[in-house]
Amino acid sequence: MPASALLVGVIIIPLVGAVLTPVVGGRSGRAAGPWALAVMLVTSAIALMLIVHVANVGPFSAYLGGWEPPYGIELRFDEFSASTSVICLLGTLSILFSFKYAEKELPPERIRYYYTLLLLNLTGMIGFVVTGDIFNLFVFMEILSLSGYALVAVSGERTAEMAAFKYLIMGAVSSLMVLFAIGLLYALTGSLNMADISVRLAGAEKAPAMLAIAAFTVGFMVKAALFPLHIWLPDAHAIAPSPVSAILSGLVVKTGLLGMIRIYQIYYGAKVLDLSALNTVLVWLGAISIVMGAFFAIFQEDIKMMLAYSTISNVGYIIMGLGLASQYGVIGAAVHIFNHALIKATLFLGAGAIIYRTGYRNLTDLRGIGRSMPLTTAAISIGAISIVGMPPTAGFLCKWYIALGAVEAGQPLFAVALVFGALFIFVYYIRMVNTFYFQEPVHPEILEVEEAPLSMLFPVLILAALCLIMGILGRIPLSFVEPAVTRLLAPLGG
Amino acid sequence: MIALLWINLDYAASVVLFCIGLYCVVTKNNLIKKFIGLNIMETAVFAFIVALGVVEGGDAPIMGADANAPFTNPIPQALILTGIVVAVSTTALALSLIIRIYQHCGTIEADELREME
Repeated sequence: MPASALLVGVIIIPLVGAVLTPVVGGRSGRAAGPWALAVMLVTSAIALMLIVHVANVGPFSAYLGGWEPPYGIELRFDEFSASTSVICLLGTLSILFSFKYAEKELPPERIRYYYTLLLLNLTGMIGFVVTGDIFNLFVFMEILSLSGYALVAVSGERTAEMAAFKYLIMGAVSSLMVLFAIGLLYALTGSLNMADISVRLAGAEKAPAMLAIAAFTVGFMVKAALFPLHIWLPDAHAIAPSPVSAILSGLVVKTGLLGMIRIYQIYYGAKVLDLSALNTVLVWLGAISIVMGAFFAIFQEDIKMMLAYSTISNVGYIIMGLGLASQYGVIGAAVHIFNHALIKATLFLGAGAIIYRTGYRNLTDLRGIGRSMPLTTAAISIGAISIVGMPPTAGFLCKWYIALGAVEAGQPLFAVALVFGALFIFVYYIRMVNTFYFQEPVHPEILEVEEAPLSMLFPVLILAALCLIMGILGRIPLSFVEPAVTRLLAPLGG
Repeated sequence: MIALLWINLDYAASVVLFCIGLYCVVTKNNLIKKFIGLNIMETAVFAFIVALGVVEGGDAPIMGADANAPFTNPIPQALILTGIVVAVSTTALALSLIIRIYQHCGTIEADELREME
């Protein structure tokens, strides 16, 4: 099959699969899970073929309806789009994890809609990373945001609905910012195709172009939960069902970051503005996010709340890497988007398995859990080591590159902030691991708990293994994004 | 300055609307009012984008024997149709969340909800 047909298929298949899920699932919803899993397996196979193709021949496009840009909608698959791989991987594993989890935690009549929303959310993300059309980007962003709000509320508890509403208000305002910026870019250039805008923007007026990038940045910053705009994240991510938390924390916040990369592709290419002031702001906000996220996480008792705050820190790392605008920094940021998704999914799914078995979510209550659920806690510990950034795990590599990027950009102080943040992160993860293994249980029945069921254990262990493997084979993703980053930064006259 | 504002009256109006909406979202205590604020913001952005496509004296861009240029730009209108669909779904979701919150808590005032947490 030609690559362009596959590129359309990678969006259409999960979309059609999502629409069919309530029908296939039936009233009991029993078939919905396996069906969603099958859909995601097919999608993953296609995504894999696309990535092999992009590694062999470089970026390629598909034109919807045969209309060529700038008139038609272009789907474009480049190295940054290869994040579909991690979307498909986490999607598949989270759906597998949901089998038992949804049965226990969700009202039965909601199960089939839960899988529908999950597939829609994944469709939105895949579409978001492969589209080459700026309005199409907005539409996919809304698909993934709306399904995200609903997924937070899916358990039907009071706190979940309030968290979802808070998320919805902030998310909707940020979406409007993005739509406003898209309107501005259209007014300036008369085009909606990203590559075309980049060419036409070169001669545009400066002030509206600046307003557009400001609106884009603020909009995507809310989606990415960067420090001052993060307030929706802890509640939404901690209260959502664990497989949903894994997807929200691992993937959905990353779409904000990938959106920023897309906008940078347009603006760097057009050379219409000097973005160094914006980059300085981003680096600072990134550094503040790292420290503040870690600081708040230290005081959390609830294990999922702690993980949610740690996401804010890690978004800070990625934003810092992007803002440094140096080769190493941006490569590190791009790979951390991928690696953090793996690590955070390990942690959230592991925490979900523990909550599923014990019903407790506070660290004090979970003392001694390492003795009764050894495999799950081992996986969480690998995730914890990885997120702190110790070699030879996946987290080390990206943070090392971002630190190198800070030195390369001539701002070694930010490398210090990065290490300082990592120390903070180390403190609360070591506290967590310590509680699991070395403290006497508060509740004696903790020692009686069984290991997680196989359909939960398997995804957690696979992800934990990947955290290690991606540390050892880290050169592969690094060299994969390198040409894309070189292309991105080339107009800066490096 | 005034003359510039007068020429771009449509843009100025959408900016004002946007700010009114944002003010409601930030300051209102009632969740429904907050959400109406969001709808006002949506309308402001939609009006801004539709106004982009207006061509003075332009005709509807429908091909045919009696079609005569200039035409208005149909793309912003098509975009905003999609935008309105998105806005309607957001509204539906938000209102259903508000109903559920009311059923559970008996109030939709943000400060009373915060006290219950």
